[in-house]
Amino acid sequence: MSSTPQPYQDSTTHLPDNWPERLKTWWMVMQIALAERLAYRGDFALGTLMRFLPIITQIFLWGAVFNSLKSGSGDTAKLGGFTFQEMVAYFLLTMLARAFSSMPGLASTIASQIRQGEIKRYLIQPIDLIGFLFLSRVAHKAAYYVVAILPFGLVFFLCRSYFVNGFPPPYIFASFCGSLVMGFAIGFFLEATIGMIGFWFLEVSSLLFIFMLFSFFLSGHMFPLTLLPESVLTVVNFLPFKYLAFFPAAVFLQKIPDEDLPWELGIEAAWVTFFIIVCRVMYARGVRRYSGFGG
Amino acid sequence: MSIIEVRELTKSYRVFRKREGLMESVKGLFHREYSEVQAVRGINLTVEQGEFVAFLGPNGAGKTTTLKLLSGVINPSGGTATVMGFVPWERRNEYRRRFALVMGQKNQLWWDLPAQESYRLHQQIYGIPQDQFDSTMNEVTELLDVKRLLGQPVRELSLGERMKMELIAALLHSPDVLFLDEPTIGLDVIAQHNIQQFLRYYQEKRRITILLTSHYMKDVAALCKRVVIVAGGLVQYDGSLAGIIDKFSGNKIVTLQFGDADRPSDLSRLGTIIDTQWPKIRISIARADVPRVLAEALRDYVIEDVSVEDPPLEDVIADLFHSVA
Amino acid sequence: MATVKTNYGKVFMTFARNSLIRDMTFRANFVFQCISSVSWTAMNVGFYLIIFQYTNSIGEGTGWHRDEFFLFLATTWFINSIVQAFFMSNAEEFSELIRTGGLDFALLKPIDTQFLISFRRIEWSSLSNFVAGLLIAAHSLNGMATRSIDPHVPTFAMAVLYVFFVACGVAIMYSVMICLAATSVWLGRNQTLYDFWFYITNFSRYPMEIYNRGWGTALLGLFTFVIPVLVVVNVPARVLAMPLNPRANWELPLMAWACLATAGSLAFSRWMFKKSLLSYRSASS
Repeated sequence: MSSTPQPYQDSTTHLPDNWPERLKTWWMVMQIALAERLAYRGDFALGTLMRFLPIITQIFLWGAVFNSLKSGSGDTAKLGGFTFQEMVAYFLLTMLARAFSSMPGLASTIASQIRQGEIKRYLIQPIDLIGFLFLSRVAHKAAYYVVAILPFGLVFFLCRSYFVNGFPPPYIFASFCGSLVMGFAIGFFLEATIGMIGFWFLEVSSLLFIFMLFSFFLSGHMFPLTLLPESVLTVVNFLPFKYLAFFPAAVFLQKIPDEDLPWELGIEAAWVTFFIIVCRVMYARGVRRYSGFGG
Repeated sequence: MSIIEVRELTKSYRVFRKREGLMESVKGLFHREYSEVQAVRGINLTVEQGEFVAFLGPNGAGKTTTLKLLSGVINPSGGTATVMGFVPWERRNEYRRRFALVMGQKNQLWWDLPAQESYRLHQQIYGIPQDQFDSTMNEVTELLDVKRLLGQPVRELSLGERMKMELIAALLHSPDVLFLDEPTIGLDVIAQHNIQQFLRYYQEKRRITILLTSHYMKDVAALCKRVVIVAGGLVQYDGSLAGIIDKFSGNKIVTLQFGDADRPSDLSRLGTIIDTQWPKIRISIARADVPRVLAEALRDYVIEDVSVEDPPLEDVIADLFHSVA
Repeated sequence: MATVKTNYGKVFMTFARNSLIRDMTFRANFVFQCISSVSWTAMNVGFYLIIFQYTNSIGEGTGWHRDEFFLFLATTWFINSIVQAFFMSNAEEFSELIRTGGLDFALLKPIDTQFLISFRRIEWSSLSNFVAGLLIAAHSLNGMATRSIDPHVPTFAMAVLYVFFVACGVAIMYSVMICLAATSVWLGRNQTLYDFWFYITNFSRYPMEIYNRGWGTALLGLFTFVIPVLVVVNVPARVLAMPLNPRANWELPLMAWACLATAGSLAFSRWMFKKSLLSYRSASS
């Protein structure tokens, strides 16, 4: 133990600025997250399973709706382009997509760090806040997937009969995985951008709430977006929310025509780039504004 | 009949291994590991109406547990107790109307509201007639000098002021028995003093019975003639404050002021030296030996001043607590 | 001293008043809560409006056409807003208090502990959904009264029964809530337990007929006779909206069962409450 006091280094909020060190820290964060998850794995597995419970009521609700469609009932009746089986598969897939794109607490964490002045730490050191948060989210999500794979797997196995078309061809599956990863990126940078608003406004929670509302309704989490009337659907298709739930599910279920697929994925990639840029610009501007305040 | 009668009151707790999470808790329904903690091991006590009794004891001695048992907040493992003829843990409404419990640093009042709103609620709950409520409020707020604070949200008050407000809440329904658990803990000296003054005055005037727990000697010395020392879940002593020293301390503290310029080297034969601030020395000497040692000292050395005192009460009690632990 | 009795009505009014004062001191938050509750409601309305573009009724031959179904929805909001306003935060606090040993103050007061715990705090902002429900109900009732085929205007008897069964629904939900909260004394802190309440009540938000296929009948049985949440919204909504004319032969027995289930749930939750107090340990100081 050296006699000179070491500066306090909390590895969960401080990222060293050379790569080998960074990787070590990231690995440690990952291990801690994993340990945490595993310690509560029973509780956690149960909780994850319970999150599928609302799907049960949805299955019955949609079953009742499909039974009395205006356009005629039967196994091949379609609603928004989905048969009943596909509808159930759709909801299961949106759960999966949400496991990638939802970022609980991200915006509020950023906003509260700004509000409580913890941002100062990042101003003094050449640390990249966004990069750090991103990597720690990746670590936490990875830990989450490791433990969630069992309950998810169980549910999907029990419901395999709803996947009438079975497993999609490899190129579709690859696109699906790509859309999941990009969905993660959009989810992250979109919420991070909202958190950045904390540099200008103290109360981010109201804005965040409105965002959550729109996100829930327009992401396809509640119902497939193709159910919306034509005019509304055209507008919603231009918004980034659909990539958080609807798009990956639609890709998997082969609802996106093959010729449109590369184009759609390209647009999604463009949105990812867009949000990364906006987030970084806002961060830079915000930090400048913040340090202008002194103290 | 005495107002409080306690016979062989016992309370032991099973402390279960801590379980986190739902799965563990569900497992815990079928198999639990535990250890037994005996908080109170058989307390016997009789208190007459109008007495002001102090419970003194180290942390974990069982004082607070005893008060909670007498308030009916917890059930005992064994033994009996009656307060004003009621069995406390039956929690009859008639009993609850007639006593009050105040716990230091624990807040019963609504945090965001002014105290007077909480008092109104209190009035409704206890069914206090308006005129009685008004006169009690006037009297108590006058004595504690808090009238101007009644309209302020409780969270804006200082610790001492909050404690006074809690005390008022306890007295609004004119209880016959008052249990006070560490009422002055965490308060500054002035606030402590104010509350002590108030309690003494109020008790003398209303002749209510008060049981007070504390580990501050000042509270005890200022207020109570009768002290019950509780340690290790048992009553170790029950009597007057002065009697404690007689019973538990075998020593006296003798302070000698020497006149010689040189300091003798053999002073330790007189007794245990406590501290030296030449030319003064303090020595602890067994009571029986004091006259002989003094005579020797006066004969062998040049002494300018002598004083003989009892050891501080705190030390005696602290030693007692240590010996029991 | 003359025997004094506590006037429970007055105590409740004071609770209501104190909660209102407190809510008004945090006015911005209050407004925000109102807006957020109503927003979720509006989203649900939007969702069902979309569904009714594609179908005429929820379930084949159930009679839950658009107006009837929106009256059903309004009933869910009436019941849920009342439960949230009066009981939700109290149940959560009870769960916390009984777990941490903070219940002492309640045990010292000369009034019924369950009453004190259940009514202490009222979240006035949750009643904003009640108002939203009133608007939707008014619109639906108007639609049902003015339609060309078989217009329906509820009788006075139906209205009275409706209010009665809404109260029963609230009582059943309250009982489920208190039972869950009371388990904290044995199971410790559990967020999962609260999610559990949400998931259970999720079943209650739809007409019970939708469960009547395949293995759904098991759920139907479970949630009608064991944890009677299906009875909560379905019974009053059926009484007022009369989706089937003439009424089905199982409606009257169901109403009778609803009364029994209410009494049973209240009794059971009281028993659970008392049992949890017995295992209560005050916090060590």
